[in-house]
Amino acid sequence: MPQDYFDYTGNLFDPGKISEKPEALKDLKVLDLTRVIFGPMVGKWFALFGAEVIKIEQPDEGDDWRTGTYMGKYWKESCPYFQSLNPNKYFIAIDLKKEEGKELVKELAKQSDVVIENFRAGLIEAWGLGYSTISKINPKIIYISCSGYGQYGPLRYFPSYDLIAQSMSGVARLTGYSEDDTYKLPDYFGDFFPAILGAVGVLAALYNRSKTGKGQYIDMAQTEALMRAMHQWTAQSTGCEELGPTGNSDPTMVPSGIFKTKDDRYIAIAVATQAQFCALCDAMGKQNLTENPDYAQTEKRLKKDNADVLNRIVADWVKEQTESEIIDVARQKGFAAAPVMDDWRLVSDPWRKERGSVIDFEDDMYGHGLWAGPAASLSESPGRIKHLTRPIGYHNRYILKEKLEFSEAHIQSLEDKGVIGYWDNRVGKRPPSYTDMNTDPIFNYKRGKEE
Amino acid sequence: MEKKEQVFSKHMTGKNTREHLDRFNDMLKGMMAPGELKSGPLEGLEVVEVGNANFPGMICAAMLGEMGASVIKIEPPGGDTAREATYSGIYLNGAGIPFVMESRNKRLVTADLDNASDMNRVSELISNSEVVIDAMPPGYLDMHGAGYRQLSKTNPSIVYAALAPYGHFTSKARNGRHIPDTDLTAQAESGYPALTGNPDAPEPYNFPLRAGIWTAAYTSAAVAVAGILTALLFKISTGRGQMVDVATYDALSTWQAFSLVWGFTNEEPRQRIGNFDWCLFPYGYYKAKDGYVTVAAASDSDFRGLLKILGRWDLEDDWRHLFDRIADDPHRLSELEQEIKKEVAKHTRRELFDKTFAYGAKAARDKLRSKGFPIVVETRTPQEAAREKHWEIRNSFSHIETKETGIITLPSLPPRMSETPSKINFLTTALGADNAIMQDIE
Repeated sequence: MPQDYFDYTGNLFDPGKISEKPEALKDLKVLDLTRVIFGPMVGKWFALFGAEVIKIEQPDEGDDWRTGTYMGKYWKESCPYFQSLNPNKYFIAIDLKKEEGKELVKELAKQSDVVIENFRAGLIEAWGLGYSTISKINPKIIYISCSGYGQYGPLRYFPSYDLIAQSMSGVARLTGYSEDDTYKLPDYFGDFFPAILGAVGVLAALYNRSKTGKGQYIDMAQTEALMRAMHQWTAQSTGCEELGPTGNSDPTMVPSGIFKTKDDRYIAIAVATQAQFCALCDAMGKQNLTENPDYAQTEKRLKKDNADVLNRIVADWVKEQTESEIIDVARQKGFAAAPVMDDWRLVSDPWRKERGSVIDFEDDMYGHGLWAGPAASLSESPGRIKHLTRPIGYHNRYILKEKLEFSEAHIQSLEDKGVIGYWDNRVGKRPPSYTDMNTDPIFNYKRGKEE
Repeated sequence: MEKKEQVFSKHMTGKNTREHLDRFNDMLKGMMAPGELKSGPLEGLEVVEVGNANFPGMICAAMLGEMGASVIKIEPPGGDTAREATYSGIYLNGAGIPFVMESRNKRLVTADLDNASDMNRVSELISNSEVVIDAMPPGYLDMHGAGYRQLSKTNPSIVYAALAPYGHFTSKARNGRHIPDTDLTAQAESGYPALTGNPDAPEPYNFPLRAGIWTAAYTSAAVAVAGILTALLFKISTGRGQMVDVATYDALSTWQAFSLVWGFTNEEPRQRIGNFDWCLFPYGYYKAKDGYVTVAAASDSDFRGLLKILGRWDLEDDWRHLFDRIADDPHRLSELEQEIKKEVAKHTRRELFDKTFAYGAKAARDKLRSKGFPIVVETRTPQEAAREKHWEIRNSFSHIETKETGIITLPSLPPRMSETPSKINFLTTALGADNAIMQDIE
């Protein structure tokens, strides 16, 4: 009798063994010149899977998102969003507007495999740290620029944020009930989704470089990522009517919607196939629907009038059930149903903790917290969190001494000239007040230990 | 957009800089053009997708294929039931729109996995491939002798990616193994609809609201691609393969993790606040004279600029700082929202765009202090968005002609890569179009 499959996989992915396993991208060196969400999230993928990611910030100011918190709230004098975007990175602060600062970035770029930047398009080129410069000093570099519309083409200098990208790509008008009642995709989908495709581009370029030895330039546009996730273009090219907002029902699946249960929970149900429809009807005790010529085939069911009737039938059924009753019967019969989770249920979900999607983590500087793990679980070289973020310039000494072998005197002269720098006194930029930076071994790395 | 190209940073002015940027732009146009001599970054990589009614798996394989991998999709003899999902009853040769869209660069093979001789051939095929995408219910391929457990014995370097609603491990994966994937239920289990919609509308319009595009399915797919490529890099350095597991009901909330952050720090969920944002204001949609505009002017300097443009400096005193404009009390913030709505409604979309962009260009030249850049653009429908010449220059869309579909448009996979461009070479939806592949296997 072979071992039960889920016992086998449970052992394969055992979260207790993650720290003993190797890291997938261990020897990879990434220079991260990013801020806010889009660029930092590209770097986060590499940082979670073991690459050495050095994040370069402007002295005093740092990444804008250090203070970009929700409703003005901080966690241990830091922005918790910023924490979740930048774990495992090294934080150094170099003034990119000074010539010596640029030289320092170039020195680091010479040793790097990947450079990630998300300044507005053209800006880093104008500063002399763009691909055209870095590829000359390190021809094997994989250099990714992240922007709203890409680095070439007439819209390239056009400004962008998540929401502007949603608007310029046409996503903006698709969520909601009617032309006059549409909503943005929340929590900056226009940054997060482009970021994962950016990471894909870099990983694919690294794969290619391992075969050919060649580096390259990668031009990642927010708008194009959003457009890749839209069905409208293909639909319209087949003569389909314009596809606008359709509220809670997915127009490709009938029945589908978000419904309210007897115990005042919300639950999503969607039926993609004929087999799933039979399973749902079976669960509802309405097997006769599967024989009705209006609903017997998916093609018929998808018609608007039939969809409306079926969605009402499902809504009435859900009203008489509790959330857990529906989930139980969905598991038994095999149709898609899921509770509408919320922030608190997500982070306290035992399943997500068991998966490693929510990690209970104890950080040297910030203490205990619950943080997002890697979105993909790898059995042999899993991702992990090793430390949270650090104040601006925290790793200056560590990186300059370890990676560039600078002397203490050299570092002090860079400090005196303002080429490298540290936090200013705003919350989110500076260390938490309960810490003593004078005795911090990393911040003072090998200070006074030489000549 | 404009006769004279505008830049919005003082660092990008100056004759030499502009010339350099123009040269860079021209160089990129040449470098990024998909030449016949260039192939995708994953050229030569052999991938097999085995799946049914699982769009994240399909999309994942389509992305690998567009990057140059050789992808074979195995579907049941009657066809993958994902073919059934479509818009407005449109089927192209037995395939709905989403299936068509995600069949780019795939060879299609049918096999009956419950038939021993078919299954042997499938086993043979996948054990010789470098990447397997298992988009069947968890444990299905294992039960048929072709799961990771068996394949890793004969091919220890195999990268085996599994995509299922609750993944392939944990007790919930076991209990929920018969639950199929859909984007809507994946959004729900990721808590995404809880963040959208108008809580003050009458039932059922006040319910949590579905995102109008497949946010969960596409995020799951892209996360799986990134996981596969990470595993391939590990294989290159160690020779070892592994299993990659993506829970399609989880990937969105784990990748886009602000819900988890909020939940951890507040120990309670957010309430829906319509088109307000939890961090930024103004940052939303407004109705102008002739249609909708999107306003993003959240920083203090951007907000001051917006007030000047709208001629409402009188509001500055009460709403000066970002922290005055946060949505912790949505009803209070609605007062400001109403004023901005009123002013925006007096102008056309073009007027607002022209004014704000002229302001932004001028403010960017200011050497002394930041005057901000309040951005106002059209809130476009897909039809309006598609008209932009920019996409044509960048090949953002691919147009492909097939016997079965005629000429159809597909959005190309970003990013653009200078040495190894992605490309859509072919597309078929015909059931068993490439079954010859199977006949060659003994």
